[in-house]
Amino acid sequence: MLMNKKIKINVQNLWFYYNDHPVLEDISLEIPQNTITAVTGPSGQGKSTFLMTLNRLWENIEGPRIKGRIEIRFTSNFQNIYDKRYNVSDLRRQVGMVFQVPNPLPMSIYNNIAFPLKLKGEKNKKLVTFRVEDALKRSFLWDEVKDRLNEDARALSGGQQQRLCIARALVLNPQVLLLDEPTSSLDDTSGRVIEDLLLELKKECTMILVSHYLDQVKRIADSGMVLSNRQMKQQW
Amino acid sequence: MKPEFSDRLFNYFSWGCSMLLIGAVLTIISFLIANGYNVLSLHLIFDDTRPLDAIFLKTQVFDGLFPAIAGTVFLILLSILFAVPIGLATGIFLAEYCPPKIKRHFSLLFDILAGIPSIVVGLFGFCVTLFLHHYFYSRLFPCLLISAFSLAFLILPYIIWTTQISLETLPLSVRLTAPGLGATKLQNIFYVLLPSSLSGILSGIILSIGRCAEDTAVIMLTGAVASAGIPRSVFSSFEALPFYIYYISSQYSDNSELMKGYGACLILLFICITLFVLAHWIKKRLYQKILYQP
Amino acid sequence: MDIKETIFKSIFFSASVFSAGITLFISGFMIVLALPILKQGLFFDMLTSPWAPDHGLFGLGPMIVGTICIAFMALVISFPISLGCSFFIGILNPKGLGKWLKKMVESMTAIPTVIYGFVGIFLLVPLVRELFLKGSGMCILSAAIMLSVLISPTMILFFVDSFARVPQSDLNAVDALGGNTVQKFFYVVLPHSWKGMLTGIILSFGRAMGDTLIALMISGNSVAFPGSVLDSARTLTAHIALIIAADFDSIEFKTIFLGGIFLYIMTSASIILTKFLFRKKNNK
Repeated sequence: MLMNKKIKINVQNLWFYYNDHPVLEDISLEIPQNTITAVTGPSGQGKSTFLMTLNRLWENIEGPRIKGRIEIRFTSNFQNIYDKRYNVSDLRRQVGMVFQVPNPLPMSIYNNIAFPLKLKGEKNKKLVTFRVEDALKRSFLWDEVKDRLNEDARALSGGQQQRLCIARALVLNPQVLLLDEPTSSLDDTSGRVIEDLLLELKKECTMILVSHYLDQVKRIADSGMVLSNRQMKQQW
Repeated sequence: MKPEFSDRLFNYFSWGCSMLLIGAVLTIISFLIANGYNVLSLHLIFDDTRPLDAIFLKTQVFDGLFPAIAGTVFLILLSILFAVPIGLATGIFLAEYCPPKIKRHFSLLFDILAGIPSIVVGLFGFCVTLFLHHYFYSRLFPCLLISAFSLAFLILPYIIWTTQISLETLPLSVRLTAPGLGATKLQNIFYVLLPSSLSGILSGIILSIGRCAEDTAVIMLTGAVASAGIPRSVFSSFEALPFYIYYISSQYSDNSELMKGYGACLILLFICITLFVLAHWIKKRLYQKILYQP
Repeated sequence: MDIKETIFKSIFFSASVFSAGITLFISGFMIVLALPILKQGLFFDMLTSPWAPDHGLFGLGPMIVGTICIAFMALVISFPISLGCSFFIGILNPKGLGKWLKKMVESMTAIPTVIYGFVGIFLLVPLVRELFLKGSGMCILSAAIMLSVLISPTMILFFVDSFARVPQSDLNAVDALGGNTVQKFFYVVLPHSWKGMLTGIILSFGRAMGDTLIALMISGNSVAFPGSVLDSARTLTAHIALIIAADFDSIEFKTIFLGGIFLYIMTSASIILTKFLFRKKNNK
């Protein structure tokens, strides 16, 4: 069943070094479109690092080095995301990321969601308002915050903050969404809400989910990988 | 030596030294208060002129401290105007753009700058004035502008250092949020990093203001004089509170003038301590606000 | 968008170059102005010979001796007191009072030097005069005492910071073996923190050498080589301040640049020395 889906992400012979220590060794894999691929494995072994190779966020840290090739199919052709001519900000607008601990910026709820649009240079206020509302609806957060969009985002509960971060990551309609243990700082109920949310998003997004919770993985993932000893193996 | 005995000695020593230091500070402050308390009044500052007239520069104040206070205020404003943009930009460069190998050399130079005695900075300012006077502007003399420039060099390393440290100690999660959403380096700095380090940067600026208020060595070589009234322009000489104190201490002609000196000491002390407390308060409050945990 | 990034990067870089340049510019300016004297190869002569303009002697000898004596004495007075206070704050901390002493010490850094000078003149100098019944009271001792109060906060805070960096595990080990406070200090705290403490001492000494107002107001400013701590003396910094009033083209005037260079070299050397200490510390 998975064989019929188009491949969205193609990773070829990826090596990752941090201060010359190898963290990822010769990883090759293909991620099909509109699926949730789970990555599990012992903690501290590079799962977050792997996610960061897909949006090149590791380039903002000092010390890492990379070898290999990663292609993502945004249009009908594959784009080498490490091509020198390819703008990294454009990449990150197409490949969103949600972190383990929610990180709302010190601004209002509205401004948080609108932030990526502001960075992109979007001036049309009506469009921004529309996109913000749409993103909040898709993240199952709209009903809870629609009357207090101007409140500080940090006043929200943990689960709400995480949905805010997901909304913020969605507002630019990314084709790929990277999630680094998105429910591990939340309680069970909030976690379930987010799991339902991710299943809904499958229609528009290809997702890679790093998770500790094997039952979560069983519930929502279409395929599973294990990262251990610096190597990635397909599990199912 | 028995362990209990040596420990007791240690205790006595520590307590003794602390008491000595506290005693010294309390003596100094109470000495000033005891002698200067009586003089503190609007009369001290404004003399016989009406305060509002003096503030709006309608009438001159001759024997009051107002010109000195005003001079100090202008000095602070100008110095901060010069030092903050340059210091901020340098701090941003060091924290965000500078390769580690070069950073060490820059840091060393700024540490040296911070260690230069203030009189040497004043000497430098004076020489620059001489040089410009001789070769370019024969109407240029030591003045407010030169003093402000020189003071700016004095506080520059401090502003650089606090900006750099405030930016560098931001946690990784704050640094990566905006880039993950498509921000460029510059956008990250202006929209997230600078606002997040505001508390540290602001407190550094306020402490620098305190440094400007208290310095005497630089300004005495670059334009501060004993009586000049309110400075008419940045090119005129000016009065300043710390210089007034120095001048009065050796040139007082009667007891009432000496008393004014005590009063000036108290006012200056008050200003400096207030700025210090303000800097710490801002750092704490803003820091908590940014770390808002409801 | 890319252009904006480059422009701002250049702005930041230029500001840094400017700031760094100031440091070099200041020294360069003074060297250029002292060139006439340096050319005559009189540098070391200048540093040791006496100051007697009427006799054509423009040496900075007395001032350098004055500076070193006053600064050194201030260090000697301040060191034990700072040590004791830092013990109180960082090691003993009885009933949590250490925190309050630390706050007081931190606030002390806000006190302007001119106030120390002012109080020195009207409180300390008469006291010294009465106590020792010799001279006017404006002497090395008075200046050194006031100066030591000025530099103590710096030293204390440096010491306290060094103590705080000692690993808790080592402290716990001594406790577990039944060691008392003094043993803890000598066997654990001192070995870990002596470099930080030395840095504090060196930097405080630099600060003491570079201070102008206290010496200017309290030390008497006599140009003779001082003979005892109760003698009046003049520091290099006060000398610069006093001579500025003189004629511009005179040799007297040119010698102060030499003084400026000397001070610049001394303070820069002490900073480089502390960096060297720190670097070795990191390689440990």
